[in-house]
Amino acid sequence: MRFEVKGNPSYGEVDVDLGPNETLLIEPGAMSRMSSNLNSSFQRQGGLFSAMFRKMFGGENFFLGKYEHPDGGKLTFAPSTPGHVEHRQLTNNSLNIMAGCFLACTPGVNIKAKFGGFKAFFSGEGAFLLEASGNGDLFFNSFGGIIEKEINGDFIVDTGHVVAFEPSLNYKISGMGNWKSTMLSGEGLVMTFSGVGKIYLQTRTVDGIASWLTPRLI
Amino acid sequence: MNVKIDTEGAFGSALITLDAGEKFVSEAGAMYRASSNMEISVESRKKKDEGMWGALKSGIKAMFAGESFFLSTYTPNDGQAGEVGLAPTHQGEVRSVKVGPEVWICSGGSYLGSSGGITLDTQYQGLTKGMFSKEGLVFVQASGEGDLLVNGFGRISSIDVSGGITVDNGHLIAFTEGLEYTISKAGGGWISSMMSGEGLVMKFSGQGKVLVQSHDPSRLGGVLGPLLPPREG
Repeated sequence: MRFEVKGNPSYGEVDVDLGPNETLLIEPGAMSRMSSNLNSSFQRQGGLFSAMFRKMFGGENFFLGKYEHPDGGKLTFAPSTPGHVEHRQLTNNSLNIMAGCFLACTPGVNIKAKFGGFKAFFSGEGAFLLEASGNGDLFFNSFGGIIEKEINGDFIVDTGHVVAFEPSLNYKISGMGNWKSTMLSGEGLVMTFSGVGKIYLQTRTVDGIASWLTPRLI
Repeated sequence: MNVKIDTEGAFGSALITLDAGEKFVSEAGAMYRASSNMEISVESRKKKDEGMWGALKSGIKAMFAGESFFLSTYTPNDGQAGEVGLAPTHQGEVRSVKVGPEVWICSGGSYLGSSGGITLDTQYQGLTKGMFSKEGLVFVQASGEGDLLVNGFGRISSIDVSGGITVDNGHLIAFTEGLEYTISKAGGGWISSMMSGEGLVMKFSGQGKVLVQSHDPSRLGGVLGPLLPPREG
């Protein structure tokens, strides 16, 4: 499988050249154009229970669109929101992705929903996150651009800006300094990450654009 | 006349330089800057030797294509060159294509502007195609000779088609005459088409060019909608 990510950071989309009998699994609705010969079907990702769990808590779909053909073909897919598309190669390791950020993967990647713990309720990212593990190509998307950051030590991120992070990182929810600066800085709660590993952050949030747009709607 | 894509990426716009006597046309409301010698007037969409009735008919048809009732026209009025900047309503790229001998057909809402030598007409797509393509009941046809400006939601890609290509509905911007499309299910059976989340697609066949946009506005609506407060009344 050959692929090229185009249009980042505003409107990322992925051009894929599928080889004979290669398969790609895509979030439903994300396919934007393809060779007329490609077969599309749907596939449940993981077991019945895990797919149901992912649908209910992970903000993702029960089924994934499956694209393949004995002769291969071309395909392009894009996320629903304007933003960056990021690729990551998994080789027997895993990555935590925030609910709703999953876009596509090859069949060797397993996606399951995972309870983020009590603290996750305050993270602004939903109480559940997705864990992608296994071997293969993983594509995920953000709203706005993606910033990659290697963390070694402590790092503070505003809630709602996290896209994905390596499992070697841990976080806790806290305020910005004392309660006064927490309330008045306009930041509210933040996530303090610690450990060594990589984190992917988004430069904008959908909640942010929604509240900006609301007073302008007629 | 010089048509330049002035800003690229998420907030695309075009800057048009006109010599004396030249004319540019755009959908109403698209102008965001103009030199002081530029005369801006409003014109109905009627064709030659049509009266008031023709103007009304063309205007209403254009509204079905997601376009404005009237067109704005720009001409320098002092014998000097002048410039006008055009930008679409929503985020996304602006692309300029040559019309003539190729005839371009723009899906509903994709038309931004065109030079004076281009004749605009509307093309009814038929009820079935219109209802299911998500692209509008009526398309805009641009024939004649000159530059045509289109806008899209997201990134615009141009695809040379010889044989066939499948485009998800909601992603079409424009195509050249000579291509035909049918609305059909994405693949396999109906159930698998619906479950894969694609549902209906547009299958193009023939020879020509297709312009597509990377993102589907109705999917953004699906994400943004639940975050907006309920409407009152």
